[in-house]
Amino acid sequence: MAISLFPKLSGSLSRPVRRLALALAVAGAACAWPAAGQAGDFTIGGFGTLGAVRTSSDDVEFVRDLSQPRGARSHWTGRTDSIFGLQASWRINPDFEAVVQGVSRYRYDRTFTPDIASAYLRYEPNPALSLRFGRLGTEFFMLADSRQVGYSYLTVRPPGDYFWFLPFFSIDGADAALTVPVADNMLRGKVYYGVADGKIPLADRQWDIGGSPLMGAYLEYQTGAWVLRGSYANIRFNRDLPIAQDFFALVPAYLTAGQARGALEYLETDGTRSHYYSLGLVYDSGPWQFQVLLNSIDQGSKAFESSWGGYVLAGYRVASVTPYLGYSWIDSRRRGASVHPGVAVVQADSHADQGTVIVGARWDAMRNVAFKLQWDAIRGDSSSIFPYRREQPDWDGRLDVFSLTMDFVF
Amino acid sequence: MKRLPTCSLVALLALLAAPPALATGSLAVVVNARCGVALLTRNEVVNIFFGRYRQFFNGREAQPVDLVDSNPARSQFYRRLVGKDLSEINAYWSRQIFSGRMQALPKVATPEEAARWVAANPCGIGFIEQTKVDARFNIVYELAP
Repeated sequence: MAISLFPKLSGSLSRPVRRLALALAVAGAACAWPAAGQAGDFTIGGFGTLGAVRTSSDDVEFVRDLSQPRGARSHWTGRTDSIFGLQASWRINPDFEAVVQGVSRYRYDRTFTPDIASAYLRYEPNPALSLRFGRLGTEFFMLADSRQVGYSYLTVRPPGDYFWFLPFFSIDGADAALTVPVADNMLRGKVYYGVADGKIPLADRQWDIGGSPLMGAYLEYQTGAWVLRGSYANIRFNRDLPIAQDFFALVPAYLTAGQARGALEYLETDGTRSHYYSLGLVYDSGPWQFQVLLNSIDQGSKAFESSWGGYVLAGYRVASVTPYLGYSWIDSRRRGASVHPGVAVVQADSHADQGTVIVGARWDAMRNVAFKLQWDAIRGDSSSIFPYRREQPDWDGRLDVFSLTMDFVF
Repeated sequence: MKRLPTCSLVALLALLAAPPALATGSLAVVVNARCGVALLTRNEVVNIFFGRYRQFFNGREAQPVDLVDSNPARSQFYRRLVGKDLSEINAYWSRQIFSGRMQALPKVATPEEAARWVAANPCGIGFIEQTKVDARFNIVYELAP
């Protein structure tokens, strides 16, 4: 099944990634089926979510993150949270491993076209060091690298106030991780560098962030049930927002050509760098799970507002059911006086000022299958529109989101 | 994750042939006696079985072996070690595997097979019933019921 997937996907891949995928497919085909003796070296697995979500309002569309062009309103929809992923890995020898993962989800072009989420070669010369080359998942924030795998976490989806603004899912590049034991605790550090891959939908257009260089690092300390992580990442965008035609459409009725050019120059994103800082503390022991994550995003372009956000989440398992309660928030800082109203409109688009109470339960009904039920009570200012799609004039900042999912792994 | 195709087939056949008895006694974490590891702390056992670090303090690489879900000794082991249900252990591993951090530990069908694995690998480490421990193994950590 996985093997027939590769040729279909490979059309959209850069050449080195395509070559790696092909090598793995061939290797997989060679060892998975006929060579029973080597069968243990080739593994295949997958994950998925079937989700339904609706909100209490038609004034905005609720999305899982900013890579989705349309979202949920007051009717149930399955596109927001439904995901399917398939992963094949081949252990070439004890030091080398090749992995390819394809993921189908509702994406920027309003389709479920599968993407290659990762395709890499891993080299582990010793238990302390891990090097990867190829297409890799991003790790901007703690837990961000497994955002798609609903089965792996407690909530229906990663808290939006914290993760909405990370529509970066993979990079083509390399990373290096080093693990150092400190008595019987673990200190782990990782650095990565690559170019981003993907597009972000903006109204009826798409902002292509492909090729933007992205780098980051984190340091993590694990002691017993506690994990503390600090991380930093930045991305330098290599294209401007697709807004030029909107400004030139106002010429000459409202703006002179010079004013339009001035506005676009003021709002340029090409060559600007955005910085992401985060701090996370996770406690996981017995029936208890507890998470506190904080982030600060410093936007280099005047087109976006810088922000800070965070969430706290606690869950307690009773038999196979884990009720959980959380609170998340996002607050962006307005820029100073703008050069003219058109610019102010663009800047206001990235404003967020809201908090969300999260109440839900996860039920591990059977092996590798979990059902979740969740209510998000979003209370914010009517100016908080960055997280949403198609906001209407009546939007008042209050939204209740009801979600039901079935997550599975195999 | 599914191992294709012989491992799962063998595991399935083994399971059908001899349904594992519910282990009621103490479980012991054992290391191949030739590895030179006499004792581990609970954190060190957790680090190895959760894939966080696979090296013993003497510098040798640990070769852990886990059991399949269907064997009751697996859920007993993780409940006694960290107080977690198998669903939570599997959720943890799905995060590790699909985020690309690491691959799952090798799995066998029964504690008897785990004992054979530990004996066959120079620094093999696994969990077996304490009553089955012989001179080939060092008990490095005990988990009382």
